[in-house]
Amino acid sequence: MDNAWSEGIMKLRVLPASLRERKRYILFKVIAEAPIEYSDLEAAVWNTMLDFLGEYGVSKTSVWLMKERWDGKEQTCIIRCNHLSVPQVIASLGLITRLGDVRVVIKILKVSGTIKGCFGRKS
Amino acid sequence: MYFDLHVHSAFSEGESSIRELAAQAKLLGYHGICFAEYFKNKETMEKLKEELNQVEKEIGIKIFLGFEARNANELKRLVKLRREYDILLARGGDLSLNRLAVETPEVDILTHPELARKDSGLNHILVREAAKNNVAIEINFRNIMLNTKNSRAIVLKHIMENIKLCKKYKAPIISCSGAISHWQLRDPKVLISMAVVLGLELKQAKDTLSAVPQKIIEQIKERRSEKWIMPGVKEL
Repeated sequence: MDNAWSEGIMKLRVLPASLRERKRYILFKVIAEAPIEYSDLEAAVWNTMLDFLGEYGVSKTSVWLMKERWDGKEQTCIIRCNHLSVPQVIASLGLITRLGDVRVVIKILKVSGTIKGCFGRKS
Repeated sequence: MYFDLHVHSAFSEGESSIRELAAQAKLLGYHGICFAEYFKNKETMEKLKEELNQVEKEIGIKIFLGFEARNANELKRLVKLRREYDILLARGGDLSLNRLAVETPEVDILTHPELARKDSGLNHILVREAAKNNVAIEINFRNIMLNTKNSRAIVLKHIMENIKLCKKYKAPIISCSGAISHWQLRDPKVLISMAVVLGLELKQAKDTLSAVPQKIIEQIKERRSEKWIMPGVKEL
């Protein structure tokens, strides 16, 4: 057992639902002068959030940019956070003005409790 | 229904054309925008009105004409012409103009009262006057967006102070992008979220983009009617 832990094979048991954090998924679209890359978006999101909310503030949002949900064709992506931090995350996304040299505007398409919900009817 | 009532086009200090701004606002989900320009003369105002009407039909978004007064003389001049355009804004930042604006019932919006100041530009007396005369105090997103690090922290602090006073004295608060380019326009949800972060309840934050602008827009219709004489006075 000790070896299994130290070798990283063992995983933590999943928390019971009542103790898990309530998540929100924010689907957004990047409106830009020219098509943008995911790496530029990731850097801009983290830099802007750290500038605006600070390291402590970001830690409280449980924010995560979901690379697997990046759609290069539609220029959309999903960012995950906890249910209490949605305004902070959306306000931070609004402060992104440029990705590299490209001017951008972030349009929020949907906020949902599930990923599936994000791709339902767009608000 | 969301409205952004403070946008500058290339007609005054802006970088983008009226068409570009209107199209971007429509894409972001606004129902109407107001071009807050600097007043030159009556002739240019008529030309601007024609262009706005044309773009309104083309793009399919409500467009309002506003003028932003930059000093006391300009404000007095614009008050005299009040029936000829839609929205009167006063450019905040200068303490005497802040005071004059909140004491003038013809003014609809006092823009960024904290601009380039070491204080918030408003106190309990000015906010009480703003509530009495129904002058909306603006949360200017461009002022937050373009400042960084310590200057942004100071701007945020001043805006939060103003919001606290406005909540106490029930003065109207309005959220605007203050954009000078169509790349500075922001999604309505972004402006609502920023208002929540700065200390408003979600409903109040939504009102800063819908109910408060709608009330200002309703007053435009009242002002255009022949029975209107001055704010608070009309023929029965």
